[in-house]
Amino acid sequence: MVKPKRLLRLLLRIIVLGSTLAAVIIMATSHEKGTFFALSYEAKYSDTPAFKFFVIANAIVTVYGFLVLFIPSESQLWGLVLALDLVFTMLLISSISAALAVAQVGKKGNSSAGWLPVCGQVTKYCNQVTRALVAGFIAIITYIILLLYSIYTFLNPLLGKNG
Amino acid sequence: MGLQNEEKLELGCSGSQPRSKKWVLLTVRVIAFLATATATLVMALNKETKTLVVAMVGSTPIKVTLTAKFQHTPAFVFFVIANGMASFHNLMMIMVELFGQKLDYKGLRLAMIAILDMTTVALISGGASAATFMAEVGKNGNSHARWNKICDKFETFCDRGGVAIIASSAGLILMLIITAMSIFKLLNKPKSVSS
Repeated sequence: MVKPKRLLRLLLRIIVLGSTLAAVIIMATSHEKGTFFALSYEAKYSDTPAFKFFVIANAIVTVYGFLVLFIPSESQLWGLVLALDLVFTMLLISSISAALAVAQVGKKGNSSAGWLPVCGQVTKYCNQVTRALVAGFIAIITYIILLLYSIYTFLNPLLGKNG
Repeated sequence: MGLQNEEKLELGCSGSQPRSKKWVLLTVRVIAFLATATATLVMALNKETKTLVVAMVGSTPIKVTLTAKFQHTPAFVFFVIANGMASFHNLMMIMVELFGQKLDYKGLRLAMIAILDMTTVALISGGASAATFMAEVGKNGNSHARWNKICDKFETFCDRGGVAIIASSAGLILMLIITAMSIFKLLNKPKSVSS
């Protein structure tokens, strides 16, 4: 007998797992080669430490999310899961913030520093990175909803009838 | 009112334990406030002007004055705003702790404090990480994107930015401790008799 609360949490966790996995795969396979006036260039996600951090952070959360699915419902571990959820939310926010900062410079450039935007030359790469960031955003928003919901269901019996 | 005070005094030994914890939490909040406020101020006042010689026409050098300001980079602007909001949050929490003991909303005071602490942690972590990676690009450049490093020319700007990021990271760790303590307080809240 699966209660609706548990079903909702399971559904949210599966969405998070899917989004982080998608973010990892899309970012890791973003790759473009080309020539620009006899200069051959190659754009990969590993060129930028921020994107590497994004891939690593989302990979960690994917593995964690996959492992959490196997914890039985009434185990004592759910308190630890809640604490880890908080830490991983922070990690995800950190990673997408960093990736966005660098991607923004890649798209708009930084005239004061003399950095030219690169999205004009590597359009396919830029689009794929954008898609990966969107997946990351969906993961974070869903994760925050999951976190708030977990805290609410965790605290409700403790708050007594005040809730 | 008088009866309530007597009840608090009668708690005695069991009452002194939450008392010292309250002061510990308050002290950590003050330190976190100072850390994030330092980060905000140092980054907001981060500006360096340098005159560079670009070319020589005959014997007169053509000079160009370049300014490095934090406003040029959206990541740093977000960093300043995030740390400013975190400082404001900490200040508000200190005020509420010191002067607003009666403030409550349907018994959700501790829960709201815990949730606000969590959102502040998220905000600071976002700001600090964005600024860190932008500073990394500024320090090392990015050969693939043909972005030159700027830290060799604007050393003071980079140094101050580094100090601000370190202060913000310290504030982040302190905020994590505060969040843990707030959640702990929430979980150990004595069940209210009157409901």
